[in-house]
Amino acid sequence: MRLYEYEVKEIFQKYGLFTPKGQVVESAEEASRFASQIEGQVVIKPQVLTKRRGKAGMIRFASNSEEAFRQSQSVLGMMVNDERVSTLLVEEKIETAKEFYLGATIDYSSLKPVAIASPLGGMEIEEVAQKKAAKVKKIAFSISEGMTDQELEKLVSIFQPTERMLVKEVARTLCQIFQKYDAEMTEINPLALTKPGKAVALDAFLNVDDDSLFRHPDLVRARGISREEFEFEQSLKEKKWKYIEMDPEGEIGILSSGAGITMAILDLIKMRGGRPANFLDTAQMNAEGIYNAFSLFAGNPKLRVLLVNIFAGLNRCDDLAMGIKRYLQEHPLRMPLVVRMIGYKEDEGKSILKEINLETIRSLEDSVEKVIQIAKGTT
Amino acid sequence: MSIIAKRSACVLVQGITGAAARLHTKNMLDYGTKIIAGTKPGGGGGEVHGIPVYDSVAQAAEKHADLNTTILFVPPKGTKAAALEALNAGINIIIMVAEHVPLHDNLEVLEEADKKGALVIGPNTPGLISPSEQTKLGFVPSQYFIPGPIGVASRSGTLTYEIVSRLTLNGIGQTTCIGVGGDPIVGTPFPKILEFFEKDSETKAVLLIGEIGGTREEEAAEMIRDRKITKPVFVYLVGRTAPEGKRVGHAGALIEGSRGTIKSKLASFKEARVPVAETPADVIRIAKEILQKLGKEARYA
Repeated sequence: MRLYEYEVKEIFQKYGLFTPKGQVVESAEEASRFASQIEGQVVIKPQVLTKRRGKAGMIRFASNSEEAFRQSQSVLGMMVNDERVSTLLVEEKIETAKEFYLGATIDYSSLKPVAIASPLGGMEIEEVAQKKAAKVKKIAFSISEGMTDQELEKLVSIFQPTERMLVKEVARTLCQIFQKYDAEMTEINPLALTKPGKAVALDAFLNVDDDSLFRHPDLVRARGISREEFEFEQSLKEKKWKYIEMDPEGEIGILSSGAGITMAILDLIKMRGGRPANFLDTAQMNAEGIYNAFSLFAGNPKLRVLLVNIFAGLNRCDDLAMGIKRYLQEHPLRMPLVVRMIGYKEDEGKSILKEINLETIRSLEDSVEKVIQIAKGTT
Repeated sequence: MSIIAKRSACVLVQGITGAAARLHTKNMLDYGTKIIAGTKPGGGGGEVHGIPVYDSVAQAAEKHADLNTTILFVPPKGTKAAALEALNAGINIIIMVAEHVPLHDNLEVLEEADKKGALVIGPNTPGLISPSEQTKLGFVPSQYFIPGPIGVASRSGTLTYEIVSRLTLNGIGQTTCIGVGGDPIVGTPFPKILEFFEKDSETKAVLLIGEIGGTREEEAAEMIRDRKITKPVFVYLVGRTAPEGKRVGHAGALIEGSRGTIKSKLASFKEARVPVAETPADVIRIAKEILQKLGKEARYA
């Protein structure tokens, strides 16, 4: 779960890191009022979940309150990656002497946390690592013990001797935040060194591992999506369902159990020229679950066909067939339904669905062929 | 022979009193797995299917000195503590079945396992099964597996059942089938598994069922290219058509930048001359070709 910059900065402040003086606003009036209290220039930064706001031309500067008003007004309401800009962080502009990079993340190859430092701040660190590998220092550390003093020394050896002490303490704190917040990644990019010799986090990034959110309940809220979408997401999470909208032009709905087989079905459909619209992957299906799952698809007007894949290993075909039967008897389905069913208690399941004139298919490939024919209108 | 899930496994089931644990303990016992103890804090003195239950792993290990393997039927929140408890009691094969274990918890368990020289399978795995050893550790539905020459490692449970049931229908048996886990951080990823299968005399060929995300497929391909693995390996890859940046399935199946793309994986396997199946039917065709090349002996080993 990615946090907004201002939220991360609040965390940084709590841990004693310096951030520019700033205010979170939701209107151009508030922005201009804050700007009038600041002596020099202000920076206006939309609070959205997209990285690369700078490249998208979304970071604005203003020298006075009128300009702050104008700039804020032009940014508020902008759409970025389906997200509407509704909140701005307005900050004093810091005069920087140098800009560095500091980060902590997980190295998925070595399976260890790693701290990263570079004297080239303000650029994407992946890009720096690719083009100027000598300008990036990576130090792996222990997840249970954190960065030791010695490891921190090694990390900051990439900076000038006079800068090391200052950056080292910021790096130490950042690694603590990484641990405390179950971060997949946290970054200060750039970390500004000011002429008076202060280290200030100009930007702030923190991505909290979704599976750790039970330890961080205060951070859970809707970001970049509407309240309804958020509540829908939460309800899926509780059921351990994964529901993904794939293609706005898609025509085929897929109800399946298990991530791997669901990906295989998507591949088979697309390789044969079909267009999946959405899919639901239920962790473990039973009669009740499959009954409820149907309601996610039933009202979708763009679906021309629904594919249900059942491979009963631990669950039972007859149980699932009962769930399907009950749903269809209570709610006539608007779209054709193709059921692929194989596994434990298969014959029993088959006869249950036969009672409502639903023929099941055994082969996965045949069922995919069938839904594609229906979607294309060739049957 | 087989790997990891062997007849010599003396198994502990942590969290044995839960509904799923009870069911799968029964299934494992029926299959032939040697389960000798279970734990549940506060459940000491009880029994599940005739298996004694202890309050802690330390107590179980004290009574049963031969315990060497544990299966964690424990919720994701409790997985770290349970795994550390087992590691501290000297158990050296830990199977973590739970999905949604926090990443940092995983890292901590792996760090500790590394120090102790223990092996962690998972998390987010259905476990593993060795048909010729009549041993399964976890909850794979055993009816789809038969003994034979193919080693199978997969990032997905359900897809394994789909593919292996077809191998079995075609008379192609397996030495060991292992779910390595669907998370981005797992204890025993493909490269490590390949080393196990390489050393196992009964395994004649290895099937990897991979997917987009991460770089383990690429690392496996490099080992094959560099002749560190000499047995024939074939691959089925899913997520070919997945949109970038969308988590379509497993937490591990997320593409970020050029890392973990289908293109990069296909290129690596091509370079290593590893056949890659496009469809489930393709997997069976390739398996037959490989076994034919290896000769009759391998097919019925």
